[in-house]
Amino acid sequence: MKRTKITIDYSKCGNATGGIDPRDCSACLKVCDPAVFLRHENLKANESDVNDPQFWQITGVWLDLCTHCGKCVAACPQKAIRVT
Amino acid sequence: MKHGAGGKWYLNARNYSNELAEKENLQAYLEEQWRNFETVYIRKIMGLSSIGMGYKLKMPIIGRVVRWKAESMIHSESKNRNPVRADGHFGQVIPIEEAKLIMMNLAAEPIIQNYCMCRMMQRGVKDVCCINFGCLSGVIEKLPRFIPEKTKVRLGREEAVAALDEQNKKGRVATVWFQPVPYVNAICSCEVPQCGGLRLRTDFGLGAVYKAEYVADINPDLCQSCKACVSDCQFGAIRYSPTLKRAIIDQNKCFGCGHCRDRCNYSAITLIPRENVPGIANMY
Repeated sequence: MKRTKITIDYSKCGNATGGIDPRDCSACLKVCDPAVFLRHENLKANESDVNDPQFWQITGVWLDLCTHCGKCVAACPQKAIRVT
Repeated sequence: MKHGAGGKWYLNARNYSNELAEKENLQAYLEEQWRNFETVYIRKIMGLSSIGMGYKLKMPIIGRVVRWKAESMIHSESKNRNPVRADGHFGQVIPIEEAKLIMMNLAAEPIIQNYCMCRMMQRGVKDVCCINFGCLSGVIEKLPRFIPEKTKVRLGREEAVAALDEQNKKGRVATVWFQPVPYVNAICSCEVPQCGGLRLRTDFGLGAVYKAEYVADINPDLCQSCKACVSDCQFGAIRYSPTLKRAIIDQNKCFGCGHCRDRCNYSAITLIPRENVPGIANMY
């Protein structure tokens, strides 16, 4: 069985490089019925960084539940998601 | 009191006491756990994170090791539990009347309501539906991202009960949580699949949430085939059978939350103690 991979281009999704704050968007989280995505702070963030947008990102975590329906790819305003 | 020992751990007043929290220095544990809550699934433990967990659990041998390790973390009572992995954090589904009983009689002050972090991290939705109490309240109040902007934060016992009722009507399942075992400090109103605990249980079979001490039972003579009960089951345990012209319950799947009972207009569904049904008596 082929394993699903979800690649998110953090140069497009994420505040650090002038993109968008994943906490304002979260379009992929809402459109995904099995809730495959996780929005989290970066592991590099420490206590004082938690409110800093550049430390937040989205990762596809529950990959085996993904059905490749393509809704997240279509919903992403930055075209940052690739499902393979 | 051990789980499944014939008593209900969540009705033991000692598990709610401030003395217990102080003795085990749980405030420090909770501060660390809650500050890092959203990173729990991306942290590597023995070289493996939860990313693609379903694949990892299906691997021969390695999958069994991963499952064993995950279970032992979830139920850990050891002295050196790691808060950022939420060691010892698990819960149980309870019917709404027991959630209210806890709120009225057992929950330690102060009681607060806050944004559900599971829904925040897996849906990007801010929803005020978790009720926390005891020393956890003070910990959460220091973390602005979990604090509701427009509603009251601290609740009286009656207000908390009313909030639970409202969540129940929305179709959410009440769960009570060890955080960490044996300290009880939260009642959540959970929903599959965006609840971190229920997800681990329903999708991966991990014991992050136990089924309730009860199970739903239908009286075929009283069922009027209205199907009201069917829509609210989060666990796929109840359906309408056209052959029998009534609802049927799969007690193997039933989590005992009581939602179908609450929706039934004809009192056809009751909750009976799990231990009274021999085939599923110990299947928490």
